[in-house]
Amino acid sequence: MARARQSLWLWAAALAVYAFLYLPLAVVVIFSFNDSLLNAEWVGFTTRWYGTLFDDTEMLNAAANSLFIAIAAASVATVLGTMAGMAMQRWRTGFLRCLPVLVLTPVAMPELLLGVSLLLFFRQVLDLTLGLISILIAHITFSIGFVAIIVRTRLAGMDESIFEAARDLGASPWQTFRRVTLPLLLPGILAGFLMSFTLSIDDFVITVFVAGVGVTTLPLQIYSMIKVAVSPEVNAVSTLLMALTLTLIALASKLAPDTLQSRT
Amino acid sequence: MKVLRVHIATVLLALLTTLTHAENVLYLYIWNTYLSDDTVQRFEAQCRCRLKQDFYSDNEEMLAKLEAGAIGYDLIVPTGNAVETLLRKNALRSLDKSKLPNLKNIKTGFRDPWYDPGMNYAVPYATTVTLLGYNATRLAELGLPTDSWALIFEPRYLEKLKGKVTVLNSQRELMAAAMKYLGHSVQESDPARWDEAKRLILRAKPYWATFSNSTYIKDLAIGNIWVAHGYSSDMFRAQQDAQEAKRPFAIGFRTPKEGAVLAVDSFVLHKSGRRPDLAHQFIDFMLEGTNAADVSSLIGAGNPNAAAMPYIPPEIAGNPGIFPPPDDLRRLEMLRDFDPKTRRLLSRMWTEIKVR
Amino acid sequence: MNKWLVSLPPTLFLVVFFLAPALLMVGASFQQPGDFGGLVPAMQDGQLTLSLETYRFFFGDWIYAEIFGRSFLVAAATTLICLLLAYPLALLIARSGQRHRNLLVLLVILPLASNFLIRIYAWIILLGPADLLYTPFAVIAGMVYVHLPFMVLPLYNNLEQHDPALLEAAQDLGAGIWTRFWRITLPLSLPGIWAGSALVFIPVLGMFAIPELLGGTRDLLIGNLIKEQFLDNRDWPLGSTLSLLLTAAVLALAGLSARAGRPRQGNA
Repeated sequence: MARARQSLWLWAAALAVYAFLYLPLAVVVIFSFNDSLLNAEWVGFTTRWYGTLFDDTEMLNAAANSLFIAIAAASVATVLGTMAGMAMQRWRTGFLRCLPVLVLTPVAMPELLLGVSLLLFFRQVLDLTLGLISILIAHITFSIGFVAIIVRTRLAGMDESIFEAARDLGASPWQTFRRVTLPLLLPGILAGFLMSFTLSIDDFVITVFVAGVGVTTLPLQIYSMIKVAVSPEVNAVSTLLMALTLTLIALASKLAPDTLQSRT
Repeated sequence: MKVLRVHIATVLLALLTTLTHAENVLYLYIWNTYLSDDTVQRFEAQCRCRLKQDFYSDNEEMLAKLEAGAIGYDLIVPTGNAVETLLRKNALRSLDKSKLPNLKNIKTGFRDPWYDPGMNYAVPYATTVTLLGYNATRLAELGLPTDSWALIFEPRYLEKLKGKVTVLNSQRELMAAAMKYLGHSVQESDPARWDEAKRLILRAKPYWATFSNSTYIKDLAIGNIWVAHGYSSDMFRAQQDAQEAKRPFAIGFRTPKEGAVLAVDSFVLHKSGRRPDLAHQFIDFMLEGTNAADVSSLIGAGNPNAAAMPYIPPEIAGNPGIFPPPDDLRRLEMLRDFDPKTRRLLSRMWTEIKVR
Repeated sequence: MNKWLVSLPPTLFLVVFFLAPALLMVGASFQQPGDFGGLVPAMQDGQLTLSLETYRFFFGDWIYAEIFGRSFLVAAATTLICLLLAYPLALLIARSGQRHRNLLVLLVILPLASNFLIRIYAWIILLGPADLLYTPFAVIAGMVYVHLPFMVLPLYNNLEQHDPALLEAAQDLGAGIWTRFWRITLPLSLPGIWAGSALVFIPVLGMFAIPELLGGTRDLLIGNLIKEQFLDNRDWPLGSTLSLLLTAAVLALAGLSARAGRPRQGNA
């Protein structure tokens, strides 16, 4: 229910917080047009850094890797996460009572711990060469929980009577799933995919531990650029990345508006 | 749904196979800003292959990453003590000298390093000194000395530099600087002496801005930091950057008179690399006088290659921070790795230094 | 049959790639550091090489406890500041009309669209000239900035469910605006506060990029220490031990917050 008028101070306070959220990002975007190599102070306007970006093979490589990993990881995570979400919602007896813990703990843990334990696992047990596969597995692991939460929330919000009606009409469980559950679930599944995609493309902490030879992702590339080089190229790639993820999140919010309300 | 899954699987498989080491690629694990783009392009044109670089800014970081499973690098550029570690781990391929005709260009003084006498595993590439880089204009204004470690350890100087000093985020390097200032060897492992060093560091720490292995390059060039403890080649780069950006000050760097750490970085072939042929080709390419000169002219590092000297501009060849004169050389030491017990103790002390 | 088909794949995946590594970490904390780094195998020449040495090393002095303590302090400060900043925002969103509400929520989430490192980089740009870089202020600012949206969402989710009738009734009974907030809104929003706090506190504990890029010489947190063990010191047992203890702390906190966040009976 809406209140007739919000107190002025509430508006002012909220506005101040919004400003706090956006000012730094605005600075990043604005300085991506700075005509100065060191980007220490504003010199002049130029768009050349966006041009240098497209000549930078390291960057393009990293972007390609990030994109590929994000799509692959999100795909697998969405499938597994959807399954997990359904299982968590439907079956809560027996050993499956532990499923929520198993699925949600990776979400609750600081990413650092996931990265470290996976590193240990890959090296000590699998003796796996770090590289694309290790990053993929790591990203899938932490994404499953997010998808599961979204799917479970969506399932919980569904009216049970629909499923009963389908069963009464003689549909087998598989048919019910394919023709009733799945279509209803689809926005949630897609939102989960987009969420996993965003998480993967954005991930830094876990990737730092499990990335191997010759496979850089965009965040890792940005990290090394922040530490060593400092040209506005960093700002340029940041701005582009922001635009991309912004589009995706807007998409996700259109598809499943209720799923963005709560992450717990 | 099932069709979609199969579809995705095929796409994944296809992409995976194309993305794995399929083409003519040489994987190089090297220090930040230690190989100029020019040189890379020339090599890529000559070998008709691609050179992929990954970077590190500390030997420890490199060794840790290798230990953590970074497999597949053809070439690495470790410092002497790291070469020793890698040799003890049996991680290196021996060199096929028949493929390295230009090996003869290496100066006599560099042919029998303690970690690899006879150059069977390592080919020297560059030398750097860990020294102090500084904003010459600022320091002249403040009347501060630029030739001693006291600049970063003595409160009477640090008072004027509060928040404008960075030191290396490296256990060995920072301890080495402290040891040199106190008049001891960088290999010192006597707990009493370590304690002395620790107290020296902790006394100076409140004045330091942060520990940094690489951000100091840009911080110096921009002018946020006035004194940095770092590698001579990085200081050279900061100097160049500041000039190019027409900053209203000049960056200088000098080896402190008490002595410092000398690092000789060499190319080694890691056993997990898949293209030792390309690796040898690259090394031989880099041993040619004209190419070897790049590491001094463009990067500002010292050069172990005699054939390179004629191609190096005199102002670089004469820079004592880059090519230490015999006087300085006497006071320079190379780091040697400690055993695990000592390493753990040092690491514990390092944690204490970071926390206090 | 259906049940197993659906629940087995994700379970298997997580057991192999989450549970097993976690157990491995437990084991690694009992192993010895290898000569060149890494771990000495648990069984060597038929002998068990496990030992409590790493734990002894850890509990041997206060320094590690100090770092843990400091990390908790930073996390607490960040959480508190996030709460103070998020509350007005969440209140506004919860009390807005439907069409405004979605827009406002989106505006909160959008900063998350930028890469986490970019958000840190923004502060490097802002604080550099102000001489505030490499200070504790910078670290807290960075932490708050990165985690603020995570506090807003659960809080707003909770506030949205409050029955305005309660507040109207209180107003009719003569309660002023502050009393209404303090005695009705705030207590009812506690589950949201707990949920939001957990979403901020726990990730902050594991952060290392922010102290590394923004922090000064005294701002080393437990995340940095753990990272250093694996990516610099090559002391894997110590790293595992520290990780284990951090995990224990986090699980305890998560459990606590789940318990506190459970909605009480008869809520509006």
